[in-house]
Amino acid sequence: MNLRTALYPEHEKLKAKFCPFAGYDMPVQYTSVKEEALAVRHDVGMFDVSHMGEFLVEGKDTIALLDALLPNDMSSPSIGKAIYSPLCREDGTIIDDLIVYKLTSDKALICVNAANIKKDWTWISQVADKKKFSDLKVRDLSSDYSLIALQGPRSEVILAEVYPEIKELQYYSVIQIKDAIIARTGYTGEDGFEIFASHQRITELWVQLLNQGVTPCGLASRDVLRLEVGFPLYGHELNDEVTPYESGLKWTVKLNKDFIGKVALLESKPQFKLIKLILEKGIPREGYPVFVNDQKVGVVTSGTQSVVLQQGIAIARVKLEVESENYNIQIRNKFYPAQKITGSFVKGGHK
Amino acid sequence: MSNIPANLKYTKDHEWALIEGDTVTVGITDFAQGSLGDIVFVEMPEVGSKLEKGKTFGVVESIKSVSDLYSPVTGEVLTTNAELEDSPEQINNKPYESWFVKLKVESQGDLNELLSPEDYEKVCQSS
Repeated sequence: MNLRTALYPEHEKLKAKFCPFAGYDMPVQYTSVKEEALAVRHDVGMFDVSHMGEFLVEGKDTIALLDALLPNDMSSPSIGKAIYSPLCREDGTIIDDLIVYKLTSDKALICVNAANIKKDWTWISQVADKKKFSDLKVRDLSSDYSLIALQGPRSEVILAEVYPEIKELQYYSVIQIKDAIIARTGYTGEDGFEIFASHQRITELWVQLLNQGVTPCGLASRDVLRLEVGFPLYGHELNDEVTPYESGLKWTVKLNKDFIGKVALLESKPQFKLIKLILEKGIPREGYPVFVNDQKVGVVTSGTQSVVLQQGIAIARVKLEVESENYNIQIRNKFYPAQKITGSFVKGGHK
Repeated sequence: MSNIPANLKYTKDHEWALIEGDTVTVGITDFAQGSLGDIVFVEMPEVGSKLEKGKTFGVVESIKSVSDLYSPVTGEVLTTNAELEDSPEQINNKPYESWFVKLKVESQGDLNELLSPEDYEKVCQSS
């Protein structure tokens, strides 16, 4: 029996299709992946992402722990900022990718991938214990919080009806309002908000947003949307075997401070890189081999049909030394030409 | 409840078959298109190729999934519906007009093994 989020009964009322994901039965689609994805690009949609994990770090040593734990710079960004970072082992491989929300000078919320909650918690709590900080408390609040991601160009107008304060919130920032923690973050490339609150509050908010005309969106459209803007997904582009340098995350590694994995990363020789490919015809899927001419150079880590472009798009992991603009992806027994692009497939409208 | 026309035969893999003499027209059912969601790509066999009953003869892809097509009978491909390659979304809108292939059936016996609309409805109910 899989776990269910607090919003499960609401999804049932909407006749969602469910699929197992990270130990949960999650809504994968309500009406159509296309309609849901387009609602987010052009209007406003919402996702139940309550399965994701939340850890609360409190105490004067909060930032010191985060800086030791994470490759990205945790001390320079001001209070109220959100910071994306991988979480690395001593050998530089990636345990997870996450967002840190700096709530106050001595309080931060970490949001992690659902599938990695246990692994992350084990790692983070062990590091916190070992470092012997004098003023630090770390708690796993994953089962206390529910989470809605409200995404799309009309998010601000819609959410301001409930929380007028969010109009002032900058991109990649966070505020605590009454009964909720609200961040201007997301996973779609569009403007939007992530709202962390109690199960009861989130259930009320879901119903309220639904009544305001927000389109409920499932995990399938979420995956298409993130891939259209080239965001990596743990378990696909990121995993236990690769480093940030092999995963397009060099920009998150700050070598002017100490953190776990720094020494290994300084000495590491990346073997792979991620590239983005677009196809005229054919739909690439995870695991399909990637060729230059007839030489295999890598593999698709994520692929789909883009709803906006109506073309196949993929992120692929290829050997570092490959420098081609033109590739072939093997789909079943045929080669389909694919072109490398820089930048994202679809330009999101985030602020 | 999905639409199951009375004039067609079916497979447990959710293909429909229209039998006219020794020609069999093949598509996927309303139930199948509903389960797949937005269909965005189809891959057809070559005209003149021989399909085997129960074996895959093509692929239909939605945004997030890939599904094989299974031939309801053994026979030669007489023609394929090129229109579907250009506008696969019509399979969602009109599953029983969106045929994939017309086959020249080899054995009458294959036809007798296809499911009646009543039997196919039971397959859908238990899916």
